[in-house]
Amino acid sequence: MTDIGSDPILLADGLVKDFPGVRALNGATLRMSPGSVHALLGENGAGKSTLIKILTGLYQPDAGNLVVGGQPITLHSANDAAAAGIAVVHQERNLVPEFSVAENITLNRIPVRGVLVDRAEMRARARRCLDLLDLDLDLDAPVNRLSVAQAQLVEIARALSSENRVLLLDEPTSALTLQESDRLFELVRRLRDQGTAILLVSHKLEEVFAVCDTVTVLRDGVSVLEAAPLAEHSRDEVVTLMVGRSHQAASFEPHVVERDGPAALELDKVSTASGHRDISLDVRRGEIVGLYGLVGAGRTELAKALLGLDRVVSGEVRVHGQRARVRDVREALNRYRIGYVPENRKEEGLFLDQPLTMNIAVTVWNRIQRAFGYVPRARERKLVQEYTESLGIRASGPDQHAGLLSGGNQQKVSLAKWLAAKTEILIIDEPTVGIDVRAKSAFHQLIWQLAADGLAILLITSDLPEMVTLAERIVVMRDFQIAGSVPNDHDYERTSTAVIRLIHGSGSSNRKPYER
Amino acid sequence: MKALSSGRSEARTSLLRFFRSTEMTLLVVGAAGFAILVAGSHGSLLHGDAVRGILSYLTVPILIGLAQLVVLAVGQMNLSVGPLGGFLAVLIAALMADHGVPVLLAVVIALTLGTLIGAANGLLVVTTRINGFIVTLATMTILGGLQYRVVGTRTIDPGSGILKTFGTMSLLNVPVIFLIALAAAGLLAFFLRRVVTGRRLLASGGNPLAARLSGISNDRAIVVAHALSGLIIGVAAVLTVASAPGVNKSIGGDWLLPSFAAPIIGGAALTGGSVSVLGAVLAAFVIRLVDVARAQYSLDPSWVNFTVGAVVLGTVVITRIRETRQAKATRRRVDLGRTGITGDSSTAGSAS
Repeated sequence: MTDIGSDPILLADGLVKDFPGVRALNGATLRMSPGSVHALLGENGAGKSTLIKILTGLYQPDAGNLVVGGQPITLHSANDAAAAGIAVVHQERNLVPEFSVAENITLNRIPVRGVLVDRAEMRARARRCLDLLDLDLDLDAPVNRLSVAQAQLVEIARALSSENRVLLLDEPTSALTLQESDRLFELVRRLRDQGTAILLVSHKLEEVFAVCDTVTVLRDGVSVLEAAPLAEHSRDEVVTLMVGRSHQAASFEPHVVERDGPAALELDKVSTASGHRDISLDVRRGEIVGLYGLVGAGRTELAKALLGLDRVVSGEVRVHGQRARVRDVREALNRYRIGYVPENRKEEGLFLDQPLTMNIAVTVWNRIQRAFGYVPRARERKLVQEYTESLGIRASGPDQHAGLLSGGNQQKVSLAKWLAAKTEILIIDEPTVGIDVRAKSAFHQLIWQLAADGLAILLITSDLPEMVTLAERIVVMRDFQIAGSVPNDHDYERTSTAVIRLIHGSGSSNRKPYER
Repeated sequence: MKALSSGRSEARTSLLRFFRSTEMTLLVVGAAGFAILVAGSHGSLLHGDAVRGILSYLTVPILIGLAQLVVLAVGQMNLSVGPLGGFLAVLIAALMADHGVPVLLAVVIALTLGTLIGAANGLLVVTTRINGFIVTLATMTILGGLQYRVVGTRTIDPGSGILKTFGTMSLLNVPVIFLIALAAAGLLAFFLRRVVTGRRLLASGGNPLAARLSGISNDRAIVVAHALSGLIIGVAAVLTVASAPGVNKSIGGDWLLPSFAAPIIGGAALTGGSVSVLGAVLAAFVIRLVDVARAQYSLDPSWVNFTVGAVVLGTVVITRIRETRQAKATRRRVDLGRTGITGDSSTAGSAS
């Protein structure tokens, strides 16, 4: 490490953070100087969010040091971080929807007089914060009446409400228009000139290059570029650093994709009630098509629309060439043979307190029932036996509760019910989040085998190496639209660079409703 | 790769699981409690009359426990069990005594009406999206009013018809009405374990999100559960009329606590998806013993409610502690299991 410029206001050195099966940070370093805007860049899963959560006291690092203003410090909670002068605007909304603008802005330091809330002081403080942003909002309006952009600005105003030395902005412009973004960055520059150190996490390289002075690039939990002056690097250099050459995409035997006849699943200019516009894509039998995009790009929402959980307002969905109007999941499953392995297996994929028999047979009760809806126990157990064997699920028996399995085995169970139901089109959403490396590669092999067996697979993942390993084509979504499509030649560097370029394409975001 | 262990060790595991289960605890507590009471009564508790009495008064607690259990299975509550049962009971009695309606017709009317009112509870919950607690709190009050409207301040004695004979019949000192309650429990257990609709109730209660993504209608599950609850309350009302000397406005007034006590002590999770019919029946028996003890030792009646309330609270606390411990143990086991997985992931992949 070389010392450049003034003493750092914040120094994170050699941070290590382990999660079950995954090392999110592996010696990451971050050095922020007062009076400068610092960019933190990296792919999905590079460790940016984990780093931010450590800096704000939400996670404790397993190793490494944190120094703020020359003092070594340990942050046990968000309050500790606030006390140390670190403020944050998280990517997710952290507002109380029913509370007023003024209440939300002063939420972490409510002014009191005796035991009562000092409303006059509260409004005065909130007004000062809004004035900094040149915002003219009704202080008494409940936050749930605001647009997404306004709510975002309230959140930023809140981060300004205390005397902070360090301000962390995690994707602050994802819901803002260009004008609103410009106003925000004007303020960022002003704060910088007053001596605040600002960290900007953004996927939009234009704004990074327009606003930031220095940059740190994270890859696989390590800082591959550390506190470097941004002026000395081109956009292409930065993208190359983010992608890296370290990934060796696993290769599988290529399998046959059925090119003749209609696609198994075809979307023709589909627009949905939740905001997708003119989505067109197709998946053929034996093909794995990847759907890549940032969090909030509308990928999972698109999957849910295909299951009939959201309304298709225009355009056409075709299954094996026939127009499909899916009204509910039951119809998606029984009539169109579409299955969906959800991204949160524990919340949406499994019955944790129920035996494997229920978890796997739930989609086929219709088919295996006898008179009066009687489901023979032996039939359920045989089904479990079949899939625990073919998928290699390690369980003590068919009566074991799904909650007692490891992550990799849980994911296989979550998949098994769709295989049992003989689905022909499978949408797999973030299949390997929180699964350790070995189980992950076994799962990749499994997905590949399913495609080889003739399933049409739409793979949603934020894990770019996984995408390059599995998908034949990568469709990139941005702001509920298709940004483009990249053929995968299994050369990691070339393919992922093309994908990252599409993601980072310029243009302002369209507004989305606050509650979706 | 051996994914499943052999049948024998599996049988041993499930036996082991039973010995550690709530049902086993209740069985031991029930048997021990009963033995102590028998010893205290110098054996008179084993006489035919006494046994008939105990079992006869166990009928309604079992049924109302089942009525609550079936809505707990989908993560709902039914506060209207008491007034619904009371209303149906006085309705049957009034139909027969005041209007000369034949027994069978009165029974059919009660069961149908019970099911319909239960279904109405469920429909109100799913159409208004108002919490089931509030909905059934409202219908509880409405049904209480209807009950008073039908019976007023009188006590109706439906006379000495077939129903009365039926209510006092017994086989080898076991009252027939008690056998009906047991049969209802058996049917409900079978329904939840082995019939598609019942399985869907448990799936929906266990994880509504996963159930929805598996093609199950959570709304339908809620309506079916409430309707079944109403049907079981209808059975409880019929058996009450059959066995009680007369019915009045107080019938059902003291059903609320026992209806929750039996399934909860029996191991049901209030969050839904996890219920035990056997546990609920055993718990009803244990609660009944508290009443027997009160009669035997002429204790103050207030002690019964105190004890039952304390047992419910104690059970909930103990269950919570056990769950926390289990979760910890699971985390340890999964961590150990992870090393196992990495050991043969190649086999796992090629097996597919």
